[in-house]
Amino acid sequence: MRKILYTICALLLPLSIMAQTSLRGRVVAESDATPVVGAKITLGNQDIATTTNQNGEFNLVYLDPINEEVIVEQNGYLTKVVLFALMADQSNDMGTIELKVDMQQEMRDEVTLQLSEMDLNDDEGKSQSTSSGSNASNDVFNSNTGYAWSTVRYRARGLEQQNELTYINGINFNGMERGNFNYSMIGGLNDASRNKDEVNAIESNAFTFGALGKSTNILMDASRYAQGWKAGLSLANRNYKGRVYLTYASGLLDNGWAFAGSVAWRYSPYIDIKGIIGEGINYNSGGYFFSAEKQFNRNHRLSIITFGSPTMRGQSAAVTQEVYNLTGSINYNPYWGYQNGKVRNSRVVKAFDPAIILSYEWKINEEQSFKVGLGYHYSLYSNSALTFYNAPDPRPDYYRNLPSFLWDGQLDQNGNFITKDGAGRNIGTDVFWDPYADAVYTDKNGNQYDGRWIGSSVDKDAYQRLTNAWTSRDNATTQINWDDIYAANYAYDINNQSDPLRSSKYMLERRHNDIMESAANINYQNTEFQNLKITAGFEAKESQGIHYKTIDDLLGGTQWYDVDPFAERDIKELATNIGLTQADIEHVKRNDIAITNELDRVKKKGDKFGYDYTINMTKVAVWAQNEWNWNAVDFYYALKLTYSSMNRTTRMLNGRAWYLAQLQPDEDYYYLGMQYKQIRQGQYAASYQGWEHQFFDPSFKIGATYKINGRNRIKLNAMAETAAPLARDAYISPRVHDRAIQTIYTHDRANNLRDFYAASQRTVGYDLTYEFNFPIVRGRITAFQQHFWNGSELNGYYDDEARTFVNQSITGINRVHRGLEAAAAFKLGTYFTLTPMLAIADYHYTSNAYAVTTAENGMALAESSKGAMYTLNDSVLIKGLKVATGPQLNASLKLSFFHPKMWFADITISYFDWNYLDYAPARRMQGLFTGVRADGTAVNGSLASSDISNIALNKTEDGSWATDKYGTPVVNYPYNILTDQEILVSRNVWNRFIIDASVGKLIYLKNRQSLSINLSASNITNNTHMKTGGYQQSRLPRLTKQGQPDNVNSVISSNVWKFPAKYYYAWGVNFFLNITYKF
Amino acid sequence: MKKYIIICSTIALALFSCQPKDVDVNTLFKSQADVQAILDAEPEGYILYDQDHGGLNQFVADYMTEEGDYQPVRTRSTYGKFQMFSIDSIPVGGKGIYIMGRVTTDDWGGNFYKALVIQQMVGSTQHALRLSVDAGNASGLYAKGQLLLIRVNGLAIGKYANQPQLCVPTFNNNTQAQHAEEKVGWAPGRIPAAQFAKATTLVGQPQPGQLFYENLFIRDFIDILDCEQAREWDGKLVRIGNIHFTNQYANANGTLAPCTNGDPTTDGNANVFGPTTGNVGYPQGRVISDGQLNTIVSTSEYAKYAHMYLPDAEYVGTVEGILGFYEDNGRYAPTWKTWSISLRDLSDLRLVNAQGKVWEPTEYHK
Repeated sequence: MRKILYTICALLLPLSIMAQTSLRGRVVAESDATPVVGAKITLGNQDIATTTNQNGEFNLVYLDPINEEVIVEQNGYLTKVVLFALMADQSNDMGTIELKVDMQQEMRDEVTLQLSEMDLNDDEGKSQSTSSGSNASNDVFNSNTGYAWSTVRYRARGLEQQNELTYINGINFNGMERGNFNYSMIGGLNDASRNKDEVNAIESNAFTFGALGKSTNILMDASRYAQGWKAGLSLANRNYKGRVYLTYASGLLDNGWAFAGSVAWRYSPYIDIKGIIGEGINYNSGGYFFSAEKQFNRNHRLSIITFGSPTMRGQSAAVTQEVYNLTGSINYNPYWGYQNGKVRNSRVVKAFDPAIILSYEWKINEEQSFKVGLGYHYSLYSNSALTFYNAPDPRPDYYRNLPSFLWDGQLDQNGNFITKDGAGRNIGTDVFWDPYADAVYTDKNGNQYDGRWIGSSVDKDAYQRLTNAWTSRDNATTQINWDDIYAANYAYDINNQSDPLRSSKYMLERRHNDIMESAANINYQNTEFQNLKITAGFEAKESQGIHYKTIDDLLGGTQWYDVDPFAERDIKELATNIGLTQADIEHVKRNDIAITNELDRVKKKGDKFGYDYTINMTKVAVWAQNEWNWNAVDFYYALKLTYSSMNRTTRMLNGRAWYLAQLQPDEDYYYLGMQYKQIRQGQYAASYQGWEHQFFDPSFKIGATYKINGRNRIKLNAMAETAAPLARDAYISPRVHDRAIQTIYTHDRANNLRDFYAASQRTVGYDLTYEFNFPIVRGRITAFQQHFWNGSELNGYYDDEARTFVNQSITGINRVHRGLEAAAAFKLGTYFTLTPMLAIADYHYTSNAYAVTTAENGMALAESSKGAMYTLNDSVLIKGLKVATGPQLNASLKLSFFHPKMWFADITISYFDWNYLDYAPARRMQGLFTGVRADGTAVNGSLASSDISNIALNKTEDGSWATDKYGTPVVNYPYNILTDQEILVSRNVWNRFIIDASVGKLIYLKNRQSLSINLSASNITNNTHMKTGGYQQSRLPRLTKQGQPDNVNSVISSNVWKFPAKYYYAWGVNFFLNITYKF
Repeated sequence: MKKYIIICSTIALALFSCQPKDVDVNTLFKSQADVQAILDAEPEGYILYDQDHGGLNQFVADYMTEEGDYQPVRTRSTYGKFQMFSIDSIPVGGKGIYIMGRVTTDDWGGNFYKALVIQQMVGSTQHALRLSVDAGNASGLYAKGQLLLIRVNGLAIGKYANQPQLCVPTFNNNTQAQHAEEKVGWAPGRIPAAQFAKATTLVGQPQPGQLFYENLFIRDFIDILDCEQAREWDGKLVRIGNIHFTNQYANANGTLAPCTNGDPTTDGNANVFGPTTGNVGYPQGRVISDGQLNTIVSTSEYAKYAHMYLPDAEYVGTVEGILGFYEDNGRYAPTWKTWSISLRDLSDLRLVNAQGKVWEPTEYHK
């Protein structure tokens, strides 16, 4: 092994020169004099850094003998700067350096962690995510914005979570399928996860190659934790109401062992007070952490770490503006209702992600180290949801249950009611005569008049009663009616007791998205060469994303018959397409056609049903980095090569997959996987292997730092890479079949380099930073730009025209992210620090994308002159559209107070702007605006190809439409949808501000004990107008002209806002009280 | 201190919430005593149209007028003094107004869409009323045989193609309909699901065995052309014996013609129960005969059994279903009225041939 490592080093061989000046010292906590392990010691004028060992000691060698500014930083402590004159050719000793505890760190970590945990909140295809809680103290911008902007789910540089890497003891824990780090795995274990290395964006990196965004390595070796006990109690009015935790660390014992452990519990009962934060949800989360470390000698140490956080929590949903307006609350939650007088939430997450890590570190000598890590975790993640079959939709906020449905067509694009028509008449309350309409009205006496009656679609009384039920928060109207659901199931059983295949009307299903991952990591560092640091690494990961559904609760019913309700209505389509009979259709509906005994399709509580498949993923990467350090310039470059693969294995053979294979026999492998021939022949098996997709992606980065002097420096970094699509975006309909997106199909069959990278996203990013560090002010300004080409996404939604669930694969997504980050901390005298911070950015799409739309059940989606179209190919008109990734203008001013008697306080006022609604591709298809799709087919299937060129596109101020040969509008779609992107900030400027404040006190007690109390309040002005995000619903209302076949003369209803956008709001005023006792 | 922490943790663990228990079936379905309590709780008293107080027919008679109190209505459906479409509001305040009836429909077969029919026996007379409810698969909540108590205050009673129904008023502005201009106006609309659920109490568990099937001959109703009389027959759950299918359809003018052997996805006259209507959406009529008179079995093209072949004439037996009277084109075809039977599903047909072979449905296949 050693030979191999030296071979790697030889490729990057340097020269070495000896030096003698050195510096040593010891860092301890001021409160109890315990060693501070892992503190970063930086010599500001020489840009040399190291970290403290288990005894809090550090030692720096090869130094220039100058007056130095020694910066001592550690997460959880206030940064300390010490001026020190280095004497030439001596071992300089700084003695003991005491750090004060940063009490607010605890609170900041917990709050940002809470938000991060909620990232997986929904399965509606959209979820909000936030940057991982970056409160590390070594960067003015990151340490302040991570918490201050968490309210609006700020994402640094607009990057998705797959561009931010999280490691634990050197093992990468970003899930391979979604690319994100699962914060709930360390939920509540703040103490355990506090020690970390963070590398900001594209910079040289000691533990991994890095990414466009931040890289974090959470260090959990037992010896890193301060010796002693720590107990804490927190109270909050957020998703959980209380937290207790207890942490113990032995410190490094004389026998070389160190132990650390922590337990935590967070809790909220079900909340049935309407309109408050956490309405209708409960929270019950434990947490454990245990770490043992053995230091065999100075050169060898071994750690074993295990942790987990079993959690059960209720969820809340984004809803439309109409619902917020009706309920008068941004905290309304449609997911709950009363059962036996108690709150019951239909969406309950159960998550448990136990992990174990084995780390071995071999310090070969003073200049070389070798680390090996092995990690394994099994993430059990599931959430429940109501499902129903041949019964009404039970969701209270289902669009047909809202007053706006009675006023069909009376919502504007913001989801607010239009109350007046163009002539100022009350819509919804008046029926009026339009004398200018091109019509003749004949009354009951036979008299005729020019004009026609127009008016609301429902009378005002009916509308008002439903509205009143909503505004008064009537339980039966605004919440899930569990009693009705139970009654429906009981009644059905009573009527169908003799039917062995009967199926409950309603039930709670549990959707499981488990992940089993094994990972290995090798890291080698060599500093034996003067001015050069060599780092090389190897990462390997094997991952399985395991997806299936189980029956969680039959809700009074007795059994469930496992077929797909979505396939139910397609008798006409399927019969038309290939002449399927109803019996065939029953076959297509089956979720597992390999089951031959119908009784085996009957499922009971706990049984698997629906789908059961695994995405198998492998990734192997090698990387190497050279860092050159000179007096005025530092320079680095790094290269990474990544191999990855994925395939899908299913244990249920879906009837729709079988049907598609029948429908397109030339491409049956596309749907059925590698065993397609056997399946076509009726040879069924326990599981079916899909096609393997393999990718090979290079990454390269380079950067330099120019040290103008000890206080000013300029950094320039750049990175370029290709990346395979995430598995979650790779399959068109993974629940049903094996078909991959079109670009992977091209990649798999590539015979040239261009096609080989047809599926990979290509990225180039670069940034320029100016850093300054003066006694009264320190901070940085960074300008960045990132280009993304050929990104891909997968959406699924209910299509109103096809009346079925469709999948939409979007490829060729090109965008640019550019902006400016700036923050500075000004010391105002002894007690105060003023910190302005700013992030101003522009994230937008630089070209149109391409969409492939298919029905999950395989039905034809349109007609063309060539016949039925099973796949719709069209451009998505997004060029110039803003990327919805949180506010693109964030600014804050923070005033901090610190008194040497350990009083802390701060107040932050923040301004957020340029926050945009996420677009739905279905609403921006080229065909909607021109009548002709990108593939040349007409939206109106009645058009012959020769007619396409005759379509006249009209653009007016309020509309864009084309007509077919019958003169019927092909589309009826406001043109301004294309040009206007809804901005989510309030029109009232004052509603764009959020004010946060906190106050704390640390009390030193006898025997090195201490008590800290911290109270923070966010959004203290209770601004309830701050939308943090939102997304358009894909569903578009359609009208089909009576007497015409489907897909002919089917036009979009003029009421394009019938399915308006859904929004997330920032919490109103909320607090967090934390009391910590160290003993 | 450590002891204190342990005690606190133990107490906290004891506070773990647990899943609510299943709902007791006895609390979901109200007893007659519960019904009385609901009625007695009305602050201004109540009117219950039960068998002792005139039943559903009396309720309709009390609140439904010929012209209705919402104007304008569609011009296409007016004939003299008769309005085939009308709406009368039912007072919101005052006494609580209640109707009761047992659900006779089931939409599992796909032949009923957002519609329920309830039945009430007044002495030996069957009363029936259609309920228009904006809930797909409404039978999922209101099962066949379920007795309902409905507080109708604030709802409306109206006629849709001369079929009386409990509804809410809606204004039809559909520009995509055929003859759209003549159909503009107020019409009975579906009651929002939440509003209907709020107005409705499930009384007892469903008892489909309690449903009354009125045994009829075709002659008993086929010549009833008087609107007011026909409305009382509309919606009844009936059973007609000794019928067979004639392999005929009724065209737009009510004229009978032989079915074809065509493809039901393209041929509206194919010899199946519910071939395509080309997206117009009307139910398809297929002729049955008792040897003397004919009437129609009415099937939606969206029914699960829509593409099942019609039984051959050799199969004779009984048909059960909801009797319907339909009349909507008073302006141009004032004498055209239709009686039909709507099946819940094919189990409503019990047919055998001379050899005793029971008719089994077979499906059209290309």
